[in-house]
Amino acid sequence: MKYLLPKNELYSRLARWSAEYSILAPQKVGEYSEFLPFTAQSELCLQEPHNTRYPAKALFFPQSETILKYNRISGQLESAAPESQKRIVFGIRPCDAKAVTLLDTVFAEGDNQDPFWLARRAETFLIGLGCHEPCATCFCTSTESGPFHTEGLDALLTDLGEVFFVETLSERVEALFSELSPAEAAQQEIALAVQAAAEKSLPKVFELDGIKEKLDRVFDKEIWAELSQSCLGCGICTFLCPTCFCFDLVDEAQRGTRVRNWDTCMYRVYSLEASAHNPRPTRRERTRQRLMHKYSYWWEHAGKLGCTGCGRCVRYCPVGLDIRAMIKKASAYESEAQHAN
Amino acid sequence: MPTNPSVPNPYLPTPMRVLRAYFESTDRTLKTLELSFENLADKIAFFKKFNPGQFCQLSVFGKGESPLGVASAAWEGDFVRFTVQRMGSVTKALHELKPGDTLGMRGPLGNGFPLADWKGKNLVIIGGGCAFSTLYALTKHVQHPQNRPDFGQLTVIYGARSSGLCMYKHDIQSWYQRDDMEIHQAIDVPEENWDHHVGYVPDVVRQIAPSPDNAVAIVCGPPIMTKFTLPALVSLGFPPEAIFTSLEKRMKCGLGKCGRCNIGSKYICKDGPVFSLAELNALPADI
Repeated sequence: MKYLLPKNELYSRLARWSAEYSILAPQKVGEYSEFLPFTAQSELCLQEPHNTRYPAKALFFPQSETILKYNRISGQLESAAPESQKRIVFGIRPCDAKAVTLLDTVFAEGDNQDPFWLARRAETFLIGLGCHEPCATCFCTSTESGPFHTEGLDALLTDLGEVFFVETLSERVEALFSELSPAEAAQQEIALAVQAAAEKSLPKVFELDGIKEKLDRVFDKEIWAELSQSCLGCGICTFLCPTCFCFDLVDEAQRGTRVRNWDTCMYRVYSLEASAHNPRPTRRERTRQRLMHKYSYWWEHAGKLGCTGCGRCVRYCPVGLDIRAMIKKASAYESEAQHAN
Repeated sequence: MPTNPSVPNPYLPTPMRVLRAYFESTDRTLKTLELSFENLADKIAFFKKFNPGQFCQLSVFGKGESPLGVASAAWEGDFVRFTVQRMGSVTKALHELKPGDTLGMRGPLGNGFPLADWKGKNLVIIGGGCAFSTLYALTKHVQHPQNRPDFGQLTVIYGARSSGLCMYKHDIQSWYQRDDMEIHQAIDVPEENWDHHVGYVPDVVRQIAPSPDNAVAIVCGPPIMTKFTLPALVSLGFPPEAIFTSLEKRMKCGLGKCGRCNIGSKYICKDGPVFSLAELNALPADI
């Protein structure tokens, strides 16, 4: 169904929902925005064209989380209880919502599903806000996503100035909007025009067709040394990536807990073995791993690209490395080398 | 959309107790632990899934987890054996465990050896150093009277740096008396009273020259040994599809989720640790 949500009714609407749901929405913290609980004092940050600094994955897969408790004396073991709460994530951008569906393939499919992910996921509605003004770092149109992509969303909002045009995408959120006045054909036309204009403002930076094969072919080539030359190995590209899911399991001895923490393939110790052998000893191999995982291995694991084009790795890289340029260079390397011969 | 949150916590170890603990090498860097199950249901679940070549994550609470290959066959009893090389903080803590101590275990993890595919084949088992532990489990499995008819000739080649580092000594000594298998042991440099092979495993393999006819070769050892043994087998006529090896990587979850143990699109913990050389040749050189 399609509705109109006047902007001046947004806060009262959210307040009404908050009686039943815990609402998480982007709010300004310093120079960034973060998903924080909505309260009567909250001021939402929906007008910023760019995304929250932390990706929405953090709402389902926290940066640090206790997975079990133990008693060293008695040997008693206890699983941590998965957190389950009726939640609405309001104002999630389409790239982040799609990323959550990509992480479903890791945590919510096949054997050994993750109870912590599942519990949070099952009770959380994702109400998205499309991007009518994509940023310079965005490249979702190149990555099987888009500024108004609907994958993973329960509803999508389009900013039409005074009102949000609301399109519900799942049965389960219909009741949230049913009191609103339905959108008319004319407003839908306007929304479609806004969406089309946003798409058009983001021309594709590369074609995905054949990109996996091209990258696979240059796996052992020198291009990776060149691409990783200025990388500091800080790992921010992976911590803020909405599709990166690597984690470490660490015992907090004094608390008697085993904790799952985000980890990053950009660190040397990540793959360092007890024998001191390291299959990825330098930033060359580690950069290659990050890019190949997203642009090659994900296709084999899930049949999908592992990047949604959110642009966080571009925006927050302290030395300005740009995954778009890196992918373009790496995938063009072979033909250049042939040309040089 | 995920809807069923009531799945068990896959990171939760099962409680185990140390049944026996003894040094395996004279330099005390290798220690064998035999663990018994605290709960009957865990024991049943373990042996229902267990296959030689699989590994477990052993937990010392407060220290963390270490992935270790299982060194026992199911028929040996209601216990699981591991031989632990003392390397870091977890393996040091494992070495300090005494009979009666408790610890955690997750597993069996990984694929294990493809025994069903090897039915009727001659087995050439080649191991070096403490990586021989899973091959010991494989040999023990094959030796059982119920399993032995499933396979043809059994040849075991096992090398260690010195006689003091040779594991499972008394048992392996008894293999020389068996008429259903061949055992060749080697050490790197000559020692007094050593009447077996002297030399590196790849050279010993060339010297013994096992026949590739209707055979599979299984190689587990330190990377340098594996690196030179694989081409030795290829030159003896073993096709890449008939050569198997078990890989190691740094691991955390053991379930293909935490990310770190991949080679290309394959996770060593979940898709391996056992791969044929043909499968490895198809993967990028990220080892």
